[in-house]
Amino acid sequence: MKPIVELKHLSKTIKGKEIIKDLNLELFPGQITGFLGPNGAGKTTTIRLMTGLMKPTSGEVLIDGISLKENFEEAISKVGVIVENPEMYKYMSGYKNLLHFARMHKNVSKERIAEVVRLVGLEKRINEKVSTYSLGMRQRLGLAQALLHHPQFLILDEPTNGLDPAGIREFREHLRTIAQKERVSIFISSHLLAEIELICDRIAVIKNGQLIDIREMTVEQQSTYYIEVGQPCEPLLKEQNYLFEKFSKGYLVSIEREDVPKLITNLTTAGIDLFAVQPHHQSLEDQFLELTGGGQIAQTSAK
Amino acid sequence: MLKLLQNEWMKLWNKKGTWVMFILLILAVFAVAGIYKWVDHLETENWKTVEQQSIKEQQQSIDAGGLTKEELKDAKDSIQISNYRLKNNEPPIETDSAEAYLDNGSFLLALISLFGTIIGASIVSNEFSAGTIKMLLTRPISRAKILTSKLLTVFIFVILMAVLSWVLNFIMGIILYGFASGTDLVMEGNKIVESSPITHSLYMYLLSMGEIFMSVIFAFMIGSIFRSSSLAIGLTLFINFMGSSLVVFLSKYEFVKYLWIANTDLTQFESDYSIVEGLTMPFSLTILAVYAVIFLVASFVTFIKRDVTA
Repeated sequence: MKPIVELKHLSKTIKGKEIIKDLNLELFPGQITGFLGPNGAGKTTTIRLMTGLMKPTSGEVLIDGISLKENFEEAISKVGVIVENPEMYKYMSGYKNLLHFARMHKNVSKERIAEVVRLVGLEKRINEKVSTYSLGMRQRLGLAQALLHHPQFLILDEPTNGLDPAGIREFREHLRTIAQKERVSIFISSHLLAEIELICDRIAVIKNGQLIDIREMTVEQQSTYYIEVGQPCEPLLKEQNYLFEKFSKGYLVSIEREDVPKLITNLTTAGIDLFAVQPHHQSLEDQFLELTGGGQIAQTSAK
Repeated sequence: MLKLLQNEWMKLWNKKGTWVMFILLILAVFAVAGIYKWVDHLETENWKTVEQQSIKEQQQSIDAGGLTKEELKDAKDSIQISNYRLKNNEPPIETDSAEAYLDNGSFLLALISLFGTIIGASIVSNEFSAGTIKMLLTRPISRAKILTSKLLTVFIFVILMAVLSWVLNFIMGIILYGFASGTDLVMEGNKIVESSPITHSLYMYLLSMGEIFMSVIFAFMIGSIFRSSSLAIGLTLFINFMGSSLVVFLSKYEFVKYLWIANTDLTQFESDYSIVEGLTMPFSLTILAVYAVIFLVASFVTFIKRDVTA
């Protein structure tokens, strides 16, 4: 499959500090990619480079094969953007805001504006001033303006910030539909890991300006069980060739479901008190913390 | 480009501040008219006595000597015109006529200059402070076009305000005083010709636009470079207020005539009074054009090159 977005050797240095270092990333049509990283890792900078708000020190961004640097207008016309909170003109109505952005694109009809308003569920309040909107409604309006021109690539920075649980679910479904039906490639940066886990097909993790991992979310995880025991039993587990590690009051053992009864029998016959055996699911949060090594903000390399 | 102008125009008029300015301008027209009528010094003196008095005074100053060549010429012209009026029974324009009233537009122009400065200063910087600049610059439109549309919008606004204030002012003049029965006479070469006070007033308005446009462009530059509307407004007003004192202070130095603030007042060539010697209309226009280009290049370059982090 041909990628819709390619980041090639992207670097950005601001005031002698290397914020982004040689970043390479490809995004594909119909795929939702999550973008994770601790604070200060360079997420927002990457997104600004991808939207042309900032110019890279070196490297380039290609959108559908068109360089953002050389042919900005054509490249960006395929992109829909919400950078951080969607800042709208508060003194105008939601409709006028959409009209304003529609005029900046080619071929966005009045019907399309109405369609997008319906899609995000703002019909009833669209003629009120944006200053009267709640944060969630502003997010919906933000999504509406990003979808106006049928983008092939959608960049969302913290999109569910301020949405209520029902809103988040609805939002997730919108994105799924857009990705599947219109083959839009979606790139979401977020701190809400559980959210990313639910919505994304793939995650990219950035740390200190470098991409440290890209993984498919659809791949089955190694099945792991947690056993809580009364006595240490490393020799026993080692003897029987189980893969394990110490965890909480017992161990995490890599083991398939059908082998669990055998493990229990082995332990009890060895006279070990068994308090609990339960499947252990490593959440994205654990994976994330493991990858990024906790929440320390990277030391600036300016010194 | 038309759509961008439409956008900027829509944003401009959806702000309360713009309407406040608009209404203040209209109120100012009425206020000026009211004050003018109130303090009205209804001269009942016969115009013939006034002309005779004028001839006497001018003759005295010529006799006293010590006049420059230009002053001498003005005095002689004045006598010639007065004599012509008396001989042909041609009264001057009465002070209480719509035409004479038109000359009182300068207060309104100061107000327009202030409003133009405010809008010029804030039209770019407000997008930054509200964060909407991100939404504006991630569209398939070059930054140069966006900035141009903003600049043009300010110009259109200023011109609209100027035209509106002139027309309203004229209407107020007609309502208060009615048309004049006298004529305006000037010397053109060695001939005495009639001049239209309306054309003259329009011409003065046009000349004042030089000053207003320079203020707007300067405020626009500061606003788009420093992204702070208060800095841009403050600095522009400071320069407008202090500029002339500074020019007086430095007037003995040659370089002062190359400063734009010494050249902004284009009406000085009509009133034959200038602080700095050696200024002419073409010279001032050239200096203003050069500065305007510098200011605009500065704002366009910074706007296009800038990494947007707002």
